[in-house]
Amino acid sequence: MLLRNQGLKVAIGPFNVRIHTHHQPLIKQLYMLYSHYRLVQDEIIEFHVRINTERSIRNPLRLNVRFLIDGQSPFESFPEEQALAVLEWGINLAIAVRVNHLLLLHSAVVEKKGAAILFPAWPGSGKTTLCTALCHRGFRLFSDEFGLMDYQRDVIYPIPRLMPLKNESIAVIRKLLPQAVIGQSIPNTHKGTVAHVRPPEESMRLSENTAKARWIIFPKWIVQAETQLEPIADAEAFMLLASNAFNYEVLGAHGFRAVEQLVAQCDCYTLTYSDLDEVTTALHQLIDES
Amino acid sequence: MNPDYRHHQTLLEALINPACLAHYTNAEWELLIRLARRVKLLGRLALLVKEYGLWECAPLRVTNQLTSALIQATKLRQSTLWELDRILWALEDFDTTIVALKGAAYALTGLPYAEGRLSVDLDLLIPADDLADIESLLKVKGWRHRSMSAYDEHYYRVWSHEIPPLVHAERETEVDIHHTLAPLTSRLKIDSGLLFANAQITSLAKVRLLCPVDMTLHCAINLFQNNELADDLRDLLDLHDLLFFLSRQDTDFWKLLIDRANQLKLGCILYYGLYFSQLIFKTPVPEGAADRLHAKPGNLKRRVMHRLVPLALFPQHPDRPMKRAALARWILYLRSHLIRMPLHILLPHLVYKTVRVIEAKSKAMMR
Repeated sequence: MLLRNQGLKVAIGPFNVRIHTHHQPLIKQLYMLYSHYRLVQDEIIEFHVRINTERSIRNPLRLNVRFLIDGQSPFESFPEEQALAVLEWGINLAIAVRVNHLLLLHSAVVEKKGAAILFPAWPGSGKTTLCTALCHRGFRLFSDEFGLMDYQRDVIYPIPRLMPLKNESIAVIRKLLPQAVIGQSIPNTHKGTVAHVRPPEESMRLSENTAKARWIIFPKWIVQAETQLEPIADAEAFMLLASNAFNYEVLGAHGFRAVEQLVAQCDCYTLTYSDLDEVTTALHQLIDES
Repeated sequence: MNPDYRHHQTLLEALINPACLAHYTNAEWELLIRLARRVKLLGRLALLVKEYGLWECAPLRVTNQLTSALIQATKLRQSTLWELDRILWALEDFDTTIVALKGAAYALTGLPYAEGRLSVDLDLLIPADDLADIESLLKVKGWRHRSMSAYDEHYYRVWSHEIPPLVHAERETEVDIHHTLAPLTSRLKIDSGLLFANAQITSLAKVRLLCPVDMTLHCAINLFQNNELADDLRDLLDLHDLLFFLSRQDTDFWKLLIDRANQLKLGCILYYGLYFSQLIFKTPVPEGAADRLHAKPGNLKRRVMHRLVPLALFPQHPDRPMKRAALARWILYLRSHLIRMPLHILLPHLVYKTVRVIEAKSKAMMR
């Protein structure tokens, strides 16, 4: 009901988002996957988004969905089956384009023992899959997509969003984590087939507890690879991290100092792996032994 | 007040009377941020909140968004000025004069609030005779035109007052090179020679700025001749700033402005500029200043524009767009084309654009 009328207002990490839609299948999916977000009242909302349906011009029998932010449409419409993926993608894009009071790393982030572990990576390196596994096995989820660093206060904000597994990862995670709540598979998106994992309830509940970054690990999934954690030099980590941030250039001197600070206070590694059980054990060990 | 227009007031009060922000509720702040963002005034708002000492009492979710906008504005200004620097480097051995326009010009003049202005492109005016040389020099040094249809290319080359935008392969700032200030197809014939003759030097060799009255007139031309006015409140605020600050620097400003408008046959355009700047931003235009303009819009035109222009300039309410404003914007869109092109060019042009929009939409559907 909320989604149709005044909009569903939820706190997603440090941001408040208001979502409007009349699209029944999307309402159902959100009802399942968004159920643990804190509802927001009388607070300022940063992102006002909407998923509208419209008829295709060429094929009037087909319905398309369009993402709107503040009434503006930043990209084209998509087939209605993709509504959830379009909504999630649109919100991510809006965050990436608008937010400059934080350093935005393109990174998965989890937390253990009060310390944040960043996994900065490029699309296709398996960070969402890795992150899904970790946050169901003893780590708290911060985000599978954004490392949000408050460079004034030197803390990382959690921003638990649905985790979009792609293609083969969907079956892998269903098998590995039967307890995970996963939305329906959405075929034929621009990233192939996508299915969204709901963040564990505990991670959502604690999503206002920030942490300091302590580890930076650049992950890479490689077929058949042994699990290997290799320390890397600060200079190399700096360059990798700077080129990974969405808004490093926009931030200018702030960005430079933020990355410098992160590299100075973190142990930096590269990680190659293929087995999720093995890598989970290795990461627990790394943190427990420190 | 008519509740349909209440959001205009939420935005306008913040701009002309920032002290009132101390009493804004959360809901008003939220709406204000959305409106200001739509009309590219978030950076300006940030500066005003700071100037009036309200940063500490504004909600954190607001100041975070204002900080983000200021950082973006700073970056854009830096990119624009860096692009200008690179252009000068590319043209090092070529003897010419480059007039910086709009955002880059406001930054170089040190116009107040320039550091909050979001200017994405670098706009330059160069002598028409140097155009071909400059374009080919820049292309040799790494600038490229975006790919465009043969029609668009023709549009720029034959009818427009600028060449197709250039972007350097390694950067993102778009460079718009103008050889005059209004489309060749419009009835306005502005003698660029007169503009160059009065242009003022800057600390950068080769770079000139339009003299204060020409800079002001150019701002008015953009609004009431070249643009479609929808969501252009920022540009009217530019005009207000120019009128307000430049007139303080020179006691003869108003006289010079009116004389120059008459000389360049820009009477109607300046009339609208003064009228709406005064109407909306309460610009202190001396009484009777506009009376000396040789050309003025007729009574009927004035009344129609009075009704339509504010509906286009102010952003729509993001959740409750008004049909009336949409209609006003559509009429002004047609007007902007009518005054830019004669009918025999305009009608095929609008047909072409409409077909292309439909094509693009149906292509997206097929994906």
